[in-house]
Amino acid sequence: MSTTTEKARGPRKAGTAPSPATGGSRGRKPSMGVQNAAGWLFSTPFLVLFTVFMAFPILATLVMSFTDFGLRNVTRPWEANFIGFENYVNLFGDEKFLKSLFNTGYFVVVGVPLTIGIGLVVAVLLNNGIDRARTFFRVGFYAPVVTTIVAVAVVWRFVLDPSDGLIAGLFSEVGWTAPDFLGSETLAMPSLIVMAVWRNVGTVMVLFIAGLQAIPTEVREAAKLDGASVWQEFRGITVPLLRPTLLYATVITTIGYLNVFEEPFVMTQGGPSDSTLTVSLNMYREGFNFFHMGYASAMAYVLFVVIMGITVLQLRLLKDNTK
Amino acid sequence: MSRIARTAPAGIALALAVTLSACGSSGGDVAADEKQTLTVWAMGAEGEKLAEVAEVYEKANPNITVKVTPIGWDVAHQKLVSAAAAGTLPDVAQMGGSYLGEFAELGVLEPVDTKAFDKKDFFPAGWEQGEVDGTAYGVPWYVDTRVLYYRTDLAEKAGVTKAPTDWKGLKDLATAYQEKAGTKWGLSIQPSGLDTVQNFYSFLYSAGGEIVNDEGEAVVDSPEAVKALKEYGSYFDKGLSNKSVQPGYDVVKDFGNGRVPMFFGGPWHVTLLNEGQPQLKGKWAIANVPADASSTSMAGGSSLVVSKDSEHKAAATEFITYLTDTKGQADWYERTKDLPANTSAWESGALADDADLQIFKKQMDTAKSSPSLANWTEITDKVDQAIAKVTQGKASAEDALKTAQSEIEGLVKQ
Repeated sequence: MSTTTEKARGPRKAGTAPSPATGGSRGRKPSMGVQNAAGWLFSTPFLVLFTVFMAFPILATLVMSFTDFGLRNVTRPWEANFIGFENYVNLFGDEKFLKSLFNTGYFVVVGVPLTIGIGLVVAVLLNNGIDRARTFFRVGFYAPVVTTIVAVAVVWRFVLDPSDGLIAGLFSEVGWTAPDFLGSETLAMPSLIVMAVWRNVGTVMVLFIAGLQAIPTEVREAAKLDGASVWQEFRGITVPLLRPTLLYATVITTIGYLNVFEEPFVMTQGGPSDSTLTVSLNMYREGFNFFHMGYASAMAYVLFVVIMGITVLQLRLLKDNTK
Repeated sequence: MSRIARTAPAGIALALAVTLSACGSSGGDVAADEKQTLTVWAMGAEGEKLAEVAEVYEKANPNITVKVTPIGWDVAHQKLVSAAAAGTLPDVAQMGGSYLGEFAELGVLEPVDTKAFDKKDFFPAGWEQGEVDGTAYGVPWYVDTRVLYYRTDLAEKAGVTKAPTDWKGLKDLATAYQEKAGTKWGLSIQPSGLDTVQNFYSFLYSAGGEIVNDEGEAVVDSPEAVKALKEYGSYFDKGLSNKSVQPGYDVVKDFGNGRVPMFFGGPWHVTLLNEGQPQLKGKWAIANVPADASSTSMAGGSSLVVSKDSEHKAAATEFITYLTDTKGQADWYERTKDLPANTSAWESGALADDADLQIFKKQMDTAKSSPSLANWTEITDKVDQAIAKVTQGKASAEDALKTAQSEIEGLVKQ
């Protein structure tokens, strides 16, 4: 056996090598060794980038989460001490972290169903209803997705401003005083959720429209012939056939909301009184404002485990059991 | 410690070392009169203007090429930290007072050459900003401090003709503005959020309080500090100040439309008001911070530092001398309106004659700078939280500061 094959086989055992086309090789194909070498050659750029920018930082963060890596270690990393699970233990006695965990949970529990629900309704309406203005509305709902958060923040600050904002204006028309949305501990989070839903409905809507268009028209026609109402058609055909899309949209929206950072960062900086402090924002502040890199890394891993757990759970619960 | 215990951090060390440049600075520095290139980083508007000054400097010193890189304030801190980690700091860098403690802790700054620069030439608060544990690392470049900005036209309407000089006067004026001149608020101060403490300093220092004293002990629950926070909080209790101020709030606009008749601002607000609210010309004035025990404001500004790894320290020292001597500072004021840190620059020209500038100078003479501690951001964050509790009516000033005190005690002990 040539040495090339030998070399190429090593990593393949570990399951990392891209598997070369093996089955049914009838025609004259280049030998396995050459194929493998070519495969490796083409995937090298990716593998190098992945290692440098993904795998290494992920591992370094894990290692760092077991140390007391702080400001001085930026120039003298070897002086960081290994402190075992201390960061993790401290996290669960840290009121601020627990609060940020709760806030993030709140954001997900309220935000995800709203985003998915509204996204689905909008998609169904746009897929069936109004023929002429369809493109216009699709673009309209998608626009917030591609707008930068800073521009979005400017608009929403205007909408929510308690003294001369849009809502305040509407309230004063009927003689009421608008609440101070971002300045109130109870209203700040819901306000951010509304904003996030508005920003993310577009993404979900696009997914659903694609899913809806994959549903064969015959099925719908058959249902119509059988005298199904719109609601029956929606429940009996649309939802079941959209299940894979629904699952996908729910999972990515949940992951996105568990990582929520931008909305509180630009709108409230976590305030008032930490009522909109999310795990990601907390992590950012611990890491880059206070230089508790070890502690922030531990936070990142706790968040990672939470996300992984919830995703696995969702996949289990929402997966189509009939298949 | 186990083997793993030692090898794990070493792993990170090794990994980070990959990015370290091999700049062991092999012995001899380059003499000042040799041909060389000096790299300089400066932030924001200063970065833009410094390039012009560098050109003038190059003409007078043909052997030196000055390469100025302007950096945005928003990314400055991260850029400096990563450059420090990678050992690629420029020869000379501008540094805000709040950064110095951190970078001294990192061990990447060269102590100031005290033969070339004399502490006596500068405002005390400006010099102290560059000092860490008694060693100076930064030469003060420009200073700033906060004074009271107020609307004179609206004050007249409210029946007041003189600027307030003490706390009572300030509150009376705020009330008068609201009641008689129909302004929405009386005084703009920040209720919560990051860096709220910057608004609180005028009260804290004037009452004679501090967060951490000269001995490095936490003293934020002193009777003076409690008194200051009570006074600060009362503006929110009485509805004189807005309880809800979002990040990115622009006080200049509300000052212009008359909703906010007073705020504490720095020298840059003069330019902002002249350029952004020209209709206000002649309708506002500045005054020294209203006093309690004294009229003491916070000191800010920037220093110039030399990197420890620099091979051009002699040339860097000469360039910094050029920027911070009397002539250089007066020239810099002409270009940027940044207030000179060198007191002798104030003795002639506009700096000596302009009444407004004299208000800044008077404020600067007594202004206090924050201690240069590596974890100062974290310490002030605890104060921010205490202020937020009081302004939102969740705790008394005593209780909020007692909590902050115990938290800060844990932070200064390290």
